[in-house]
Amino acid sequence: MSGAEDNKSSHAQLSSQIFLDLVDSVIADVASECHRVARLGLDRDLDIVEEELRLSVEARAKIADPSNNLETNTKYVVDIFGQTHPPVASEVFNCMNCGRQIVAGRFAPHLEKCMGKGRKARAKTTRSTTAAQNRNARRSPNPRYSPYPNSASENQLASGSPGVAGEDCSNFTVRENVKGD
Amino acid sequence: MKHSVNRPPTPDEDDVADGFEKDKVTLREIINVKLVESGEKENLMELVRDRLVECGWKDEMRIACREHVKKKGRKDVTVDELIRVITPKGRASVPDSVKAELLNRIQNFIVSAAL
Repeated sequence: MSGAEDNKSSHAQLSSQIFLDLVDSVIADVASECHRVARLGLDRDLDIVEEELRLSVEARAKIADPSNNLETNTKYVVDIFGQTHPPVASEVFNCMNCGRQIVAGRFAPHLEKCMGKGRKARAKTTRSTTAAQNRNARRSPNPRYSPYPNSASENQLASGSPGVAGEDCSNFTVRENVKGD
Repeated sequence: MKHSVNRPPTPDEDDVADGFEKDKVTLREIINVKLVESGEKENLMELVRDRLVECGWKDEMRIACREHVKKKGRKDVTVDELIRVITPKGRASVPDSVKAELLNRIQNFIVSAAL
């Protein structure tokens, strides 16, 4: 019995030592693998991915927090990536119709005035008149759009301004030429 | 293998402890040699790796290594340093189920080798 017990205890000690040796060798494998990755710089994409995940978590935390959410809503909107945006888009670009510089957030109401349609149509200026002439000249061969210039000319006649009348004569001349052809 | 080991026929009473230690070391060497010869060591290594990957131990080790690399700077890290840093954590965080399975298997091998 004492011999058997000694054998069992020695076997247990031996097996635990062998197991620790195996674990140490696996640890060495993991360490050398991570060292290689670090020295060769193979984990840079991983760093970027981790950064994105961290930002995403922060954004969710901000949205979940009610007091913080109320404060941020009054000023800026926070998206899923944690970036803040102004309530009205603040980018400035040139209007492709009249050439003015317009803020992106106010482009739609500007177009309503600039295109001369709707209840907020603006009185035509030299630029818009020139643009209108260009559009009329381009569209005149197409009979589908002929009623529109007529209505425009009627509007211009109704205004009764001498300058506008002069421009109206030039428009009429262009139409006569087309009809002649 | 056992017969080729040289032992004194009648150990002296004063050297019982030394004899026991020598006997233990020799026995461990014998077990290691038999593990390698029979291919069981490779099987055990594969089994340990698979079990540790399954339970997420390896990912934890990788995270610890990465943290140390960030702390030190990627150009100043050595493999020995990484091993020194993660060995205590690695030994402590091995799951008990994996440890029990492996110890049982190793003990069975020792018993079969002793026969």
